[in-house]
Amino acid sequence: MSALGVIVAVVSVAAAAAFGAYIAAWVDIVLARAVAGVPVRPLDALIAPVSWGAAVALKARTTTERPDGETWALAPALLAALAAVGLAAAPLAPGLLAADVASGIVLFGAAMALVVVAVFLQGWSPNSPLPMIGGYRFIAEGLSYEIPLAVVLIAAALPARSLAIAPIVVSQENLWNVIRQPLGLPLYLMAALGLAFWGPLALPEGVDLAGGSSLEISGVSRILWRVAQLMVLVAVSAMGAAVFLGGWLGPLLPGAAWMIAKTLVLLVLLIGARHLVARVPTERYVIASWAILIPLSLLDVFIAGIQALVAAR
Amino acid sequence: MTSTLARLASGAPSRCFALAGAGAGDVGPWLRLDPSVAIVDSPRAADVLLVLGRLEGEMLHAAAAVHDAIPPPRGVVVWSPDGWSSRRWPFVDAVTVRDASEIAPACRRLRDDLFRRRLASSPDALPDLDPAPWRGVGPFGQGGAGMTGGVPYGRPLAGRADDRDGLRLDQILVRVGPFLPPFPPGLLLDVRLQGDVIQEATIPAPIADDAGASGREGPSGAPVPHGHPARLAVAADSPFTTALTRPVPIAELELARARHHLAWLAEALRVSGLEAYGLRALKLAFGLDLESAESIDALDRWLRRNVSLRWGTNRVGVVTRAQAEGLPGGPVARASGDDRDARSLDPAYQRLGFEPVVRGGGDALARWRLRVAEARQSVQLAKRSRTSESTPSGVIEDPRGPLSDDVPPSAGLVALLPALLVGMEWGDAVTTVVSLDIGVIDPAVREVTSEGTGP
Repeated sequence: MSALGVIVAVVSVAAAAAFGAYIAAWVDIVLARAVAGVPVRPLDALIAPVSWGAAVALKARTTTERPDGETWALAPALLAALAAVGLAAAPLAPGLLAADVASGIVLFGAAMALVVVAVFLQGWSPNSPLPMIGGYRFIAEGLSYEIPLAVVLIAAALPARSLAIAPIVVSQENLWNVIRQPLGLPLYLMAALGLAFWGPLALPEGVDLAGGSSLEISGVSRILWRVAQLMVLVAVSAMGAAVFLGGWLGPLLPGAAWMIAKTLVLLVLLIGARHLVARVPTERYVIASWAILIPLSLLDVFIAGIQALVAAR
Repeated sequence: MTSTLARLASGAPSRCFALAGAGAGDVGPWLRLDPSVAIVDSPRAADVLLVLGRLEGEMLHAAAAVHDAIPPPRGVVVWSPDGWSSRRWPFVDAVTVRDASEIAPACRRLRDDLFRRRLASSPDALPDLDPAPWRGVGPFGQGGAGMTGGVPYGRPLAGRADDRDGLRLDQILVRVGPFLPPFPPGLLLDVRLQGDVIQEATIPAPIADDAGASGREGPSGAPVPHGHPARLAVAADSPFTTALTRPVPIAELELARARHHLAWLAEALRVSGLEAYGLRALKLAFGLDLESAESIDALDRWLRRNVSLRWGTNRVGVVTRAQAEGLPGGPVARASGDDRDARSLDPAYQRLGFEPVVRGGGDALARWRLRVAEARQSVQLAKRSRTSESTPSGVIEDPRGPLSDDVPPSAGLVALLPALLVGMEWGDAVTTVVSLDIGVIDPAVREVTSEGTGP
């Protein structure tokens, strides 16, 4: 790829991630109003994220007593960068892929595995107890979502016999992975909630910790952190759409339209979980993950392996 | 640039960090229904410090620290229905309102004026000093009592101890409160944490203050001496306070009880991560009438079907039957199988066929279910009662428990906390404290604990 191509790809991914985060914020507001039983007013909700951002931007960036300033500043940038890398691995349409690498699914998995570092830094850096507990929590639950996520992604790659995302999409021409591997998408979405520390698995930032790892941030740092978190949600939704819902495959509409629509569906599901599913206690989630989710993900990859063997004959 | 941002920001709700003091009543929950105000969980996310009711003694000092944690530009709005003020008031430029309906517009105006620079940000109320003098010898706090036993800036370094899995891990000592949002305002806890797990919880001894000499009145109008437990959690304008001395229509009492339980449910749902559904409960609470039983049923059905809520509350914070019997009564005791309810002794309630709602289990789930069932029962009682009035007897069943001149409604619950919380993960501890519905606490509550009141 030429230098110009790299620049175009980086700008495109950044724009897509930022726009996706804006849409995610809008969906969140609309769903919150719907669940609360107040008038939804979707058009008014379009301006709400902008108003919120302006109000937060006008506030000073505060500090705490003896924070680790460098890592504190790094945390939102790292999270946003990891989300962008994850999104770059998801193809919008045939040939329309920012990070067209032979092991795209590994790239995505590696980027998402490092989210734990960004969240821990955000919690640990301000030298404040409740954010630090939030950071601890994320470390404690890390493997509990990372293992199911990695295993179901491997299972989804098996029918394609490739770790690149485009062949995985093409391998779903006859049957989407959501049907071929029925355990895959539900497990992926549960892991995605943990990865994006969102909704029932917003454990590092729970109300019980008064905001946890993001309790001490204000001003532009708060905006960056929230946008980066929404970017992670968009990235996992896009990858879920590509790997389990056939990506750009679909009749009549252009491939990109199908990909965007499927990403939106997963985004709505993930955001809706925030308003309908209560926070899960950390220890019970970890136990459930090791006792149920990880064995189910292994079953998923086992079934996918058998299917691949049968198909090869 | 700033004026453009200020124009855009005017469409956002005014973000307030609310401090509830004595007499705040249910103004805080009620404000959550106003879309022009957002009550936030961290002062760092706030524009306005909102003081509801009276703050005294060390609560005022804590309020000043919270104020200084709000990033500039910031302002202070005080709701003071009786025009109360303190000579130790730390905020020089606070906007005071008397009418609750004026709170949201005042917050909004103040926020807009701050953003448009028509007003200066409220200055720091406390000096920016280290919380305690440097007491270590070396640059990292080493020295003092042993190579790693220094106490830099008055804080002990993390020590190590065995955890529940047999590992030796760091422990940190953290003081939480008195304004940690999920906790009752005024509650101070010293907790020793190992990761997310509470290894030790104590309620610190009170700091001497002059609050008790303020000449405040108890529920029956009698002066309350310093440290008297009746200083706690009693709203002077509550119908339950009035019913101690005068007959009050049962419909009024029972609708107030149902409203309280539903407002509590909204807060409990919010702490469980279901803020939007909590707003639904809050709307029901403040729109409550004699025909609301079916709406409460619908809410109850939803709660029962929500597996995740059951998962987060089942077997959490169990108050045993023996512990319940050490309490003066109230919903927490009834959720542990103890059927005491002061209404059972009132002839007016007996004529209505009143039977206390009782649940077993004693965990947070049982307390959730009991309060929803009581809210429903209260609406039905209100509907049946027509013109019946309560019989004053010196004791009334407040939504939090029996209230008298001598005993506040949530007496004994704070004393239960240390034993309940040890060994819990922080999230479960918060679920437990919220499920007890302790109410606003004055610093004197810790005197109650230290005197050994409660089981």
